[in-house]
Amino acid sequence: MRNIFQILRRQFLAYFRSPLGYVVAAVFYFVAGLSFCRLLAQSATDSLRIGDLLFGSAYFWLGLLAAIVLVTMALFAEERHSGTFETLMTAPVTDVQVVLAKFLAAYMFLVFMLAPTLLYAGILHAYNAAGAPLALKPVACGWMIVLLIASFYTAFGLLMSSLTGSAAAAAVLCCLGMGVTFLGESLQHALRSTMVERTVAQISSIQHVLDFSRGVIDTQPVYFYISGTILFLYLAVKSVESRLWR
Amino acid sequence: MKDKRIIIKAENLTRRFSSGTAVDGISFEVRQGEMVGFLGPNGAGKSTTLRILAGFLTATDGNVQIDGLSVIEHSLEVRRRIGYLPEKVALYPEMRVSEYLHFRGRIKGILGRRLRARLDEVKSLCGLHDVSGRIIGHLSRGYQQRIGLADALVHEPELLLLDEPTSGLDPNQLRNMRELIKTLGQKYTVVLSTHFLAEAETVCNRVMIINHGRIVASDSPVVLTGLLKNKSMVVAEISGAHTAVGGALRALPHVTGMFWNPCRSAEGERPGEEWNRYVLECDTGADIRGAVYAEAARNGWGLRELRLERKKLEDAFAEITGNMG
Repeated sequence: MRNIFQILRRQFLAYFRSPLGYVVAAVFYFVAGLSFCRLLAQSATDSLRIGDLLFGSAYFWLGLLAAIVLVTMALFAEERHSGTFETLMTAPVTDVQVVLAKFLAAYMFLVFMLAPTLLYAGILHAYNAAGAPLALKPVACGWMIVLLIASFYTAFGLLMSSLTGSAAAAAVLCCLGMGVTFLGESLQHALRSTMVERTVAQISSIQHVLDFSRGVIDTQPVYFYISGTILFLYLAVKSVESRLWR
Repeated sequence: MKDKRIIIKAENLTRRFSSGTAVDGISFEVRQGEMVGFLGPNGAGKSTTLRILAGFLTATDGNVQIDGLSVIEHSLEVRRRIGYLPEKVALYPEMRVSEYLHFRGRIKGILGRRLRARLDEVKSLCGLHDVSGRIIGHLSRGYQQRIGLADALVHEPELLLLDEPTSGLDPNQLRNMRELIKTLGQKYTVVLSTHFLAEAETVCNRVMIINHGRIVASDSPVVLTGLLKNKSMVVAEISGAHTAVGGALRALPHVTGMFWNPCRSAEGERPGEEWNRYVLECDTGADIRGAVYAEAARNGWGLRELRLERKKLEDAFAEITGNMG
């Protein structure tokens, strides 16, 4: 546990000791803030649900996914590239400890980065002209799916980073994987097969966001993201272990 | 040394990569307190061997025990007993020196007061007190090498594995690092790899010459030099016609080979005088300086230099590996 904390702490602080963390957060806030303002303006004429206002913007998701790619791509790739991987793995730490610490550090950074967007709900509540109380369920469910999706893709990004010694290659692999699950709906239309349609419907993150931000909790996506996260972390441990025989 | 306990026991160690065999069935033992140097040209298999000992790679065949523990089965326990300095010392550039060593100490299981005491000790030993508050990325290569060494020492390991600890250092840093390693040799069992021949000769009390993944020789630098090619060399600068001088020297007893080249003209030489420099290779242990002097005196040749040279490990190494590394 001590080792996990130590590695996590170092990795987490590293985000704030390079421009990367600040740039990622600033770009995300800019994109998410703009899209929120746009939806807010739109809500004056169209009737929009609170869930759509907070989580329904494609820009918010593009910003979040880009942040995940940038935050995870260097986790292992950079260590391999610079050589610190060898120093780290010859210390008395287990592969599981290293993978978990790095995952938690990246995930904590993303949660930390997302936290201020909670203000959006506060703004809606404060300036609600109708005076009706804020529907908390869609907000809570929306946050739940945001955190689940972030954990799933963080683990995926970490796995991609563990496979290569180049952060750029890890980023490309991560984007490809995200494309399949996140933009699955376009694939569904292109392929026109019942089997693919059903599979894509199950793993389409857009559909999950739409459901959850309306306050509908479906346990299937919850299991999907949690088990996906565990699977990716397990594969990352195996990938780190492969240094022994590669 | 025989009564000391065995720290490293490697048996039939083999490591194959898709590109070829890096380590080819080597076996050796290192006892407590020894200072062993792996000497070989680039790509000989030195780093791979050290990486296997450090638990970063596994051997394709064979097994290694560190202090009686298998590197594979008791990997964590073995890593606690090893201080490893990789060939490419890589540190986290954004951290401060103290903070980095603190982090490394903690993940190696050193805590509280003991960690503070150890940090103080290693910083003194490696000369890092002055820079302990500085950011690592701003420090010179020499300092980064010292930080890597301090990291390897922080948990008081049983065994130090240093992979080319002086590579990339300037002559001043190189001398300091060698001194430091010599000091460490008094307290720790050290295995270092190098392709600096002088380093192995001056720092280590045992040298293993590795070539193409095999150990081709293993002994103390003195014995090794003698065993491998114990030929004496006599260097002489003599004035006189080369045809006469060369012929006479070549005919001296124990001379097995001769190289010569004309000397550049020096101050005080008489016009028309011909000075040549002769290097005479002689039989084992032979010292023919007296015979060279007598020959020069008898023929009335000028003699301004006459010395005996022992062949250095460097020559022996080049001879064995066929490569100057």
